[in-house]
Amino acid sequence: MIMIKIAMKFATRMLWLIPLFATAAIVHAQDVPIPPDIQKLSAKAKETVEVTMDGPMLHWASKFLSADDPDEAKAAKLVANLKGIYVRSFEFEKEGAYSAAEVEQLRSQFRGPGWSKVVGVRSDEDGDNVDIFFKLENDKMAGIVIICAEPKELTYVNIVGPLEVEQLADLGGEFGVPKLDRKTLKHAQKADKADKEDQKEERKEDQK
Amino acid sequence: MKSLRVCLLILSVTALASAGDNEFRSVVNALEGHYGVHHTHVPLLGFAMWFARPEGVSGMKLATFENLNGTAEADDVSRLVEKSLGHDWFPFVRVRSRNADGGDDEATLIYASPAGGKLRMMIVNVESSEATVVEVKLSEHAIKEWFKEPAEKADDQSSHHRHHADD
Repeated sequence: MIMIKIAMKFATRMLWLIPLFATAAIVHAQDVPIPPDIQKLSAKAKETVEVTMDGPMLHWASKFLSADDPDEAKAAKLVANLKGIYVRSFEFEKEGAYSAAEVEQLRSQFRGPGWSKVVGVRSDEDGDNVDIFFKLENDKMAGIVIICAEPKELTYVNIVGPLEVEQLADLGGEFGVPKLDRKTLKHAQKADKADKEDQKEERKEDQK
Repeated sequence: MKSLRVCLLILSVTALASAGDNEFRSVVNALEGHYGVHHTHVPLLGFAMWFARPEGVSGMKLATFENLNGTAEADDVSRLVEKSLGHDWFPFVRVRSRNADGGDDEATLIYASPAGGKLRMMIVNVESSEATVVEVKLSEHAIKEWFKEPAEKADDQSSHHRHHADD
């Protein structure tokens, strides 16, 4: 009986650790370029394509983008400051191979602290959904996650490092990063502007 | 003094070439050891590759494996390859297709090692009981092409080498 009481007491005291571990798990999910949920989706895919560009390889690659070509020059400048580009693309055998809940679970990992406004473009016509998540550090963009979900395809892109939403267009078509259409980019730019203004206001209120 | 410099240059180039060869051999040896097979010798392969090599590709080395003992799973092969390669090799592209049972149908693993103005690539393709290991050096033009469309190039490359191996 005494043992049970001691065990109960120990368990009660340890309860406060649960939120601590949960917070740590969320923070960890944000820092990991490829979340574990992506691996689960990979297991269901008929074909998986993974492109990884980080560390010295990425900096080295930026030197190969031509300074004479205006588009490549822009991309080179941007890439030189990035920490990593991670692309995971899945093609499924048939529609419904992955559930909406699984994608939602993936999206939810980028809704915690440190991540900013979500741009969601939904197309009822062809079932394409594009979500863009921004990571902000000291009011500056520190990364972008793009999740494109189509009925039989899913693409996850994580660009780690300083970049602006406008620069996404410069990076599209390089290193396996998909080209986003103008409509999606416009939505992203609007959301980015609004978010920065919100943050400024929040800071003003904090100072008061 | 000049001759000493020339000697040092030759020595360093030889050491670099030998290091590259070592890594290729190391990957081949690792696959041979793990799957209990020796790579297959393809007669006149060097001659055929000289004519049919893709644009911007040089220094091609190729080893093919048949009748592996056990099915080659992409994760196992990737662990073996990563263990065999040095720290200056980076995972670049991985293309994996699955069969109806969820097992690996085919996988192409590409590792890259940037050195000066050239990029070395180790391409490992596995398909159930067969495997192919290729090492190539890419020119500046070829590197740009790879960076533009890495997945598409990976697909092209694996089918290209499979075709050579089949010949």
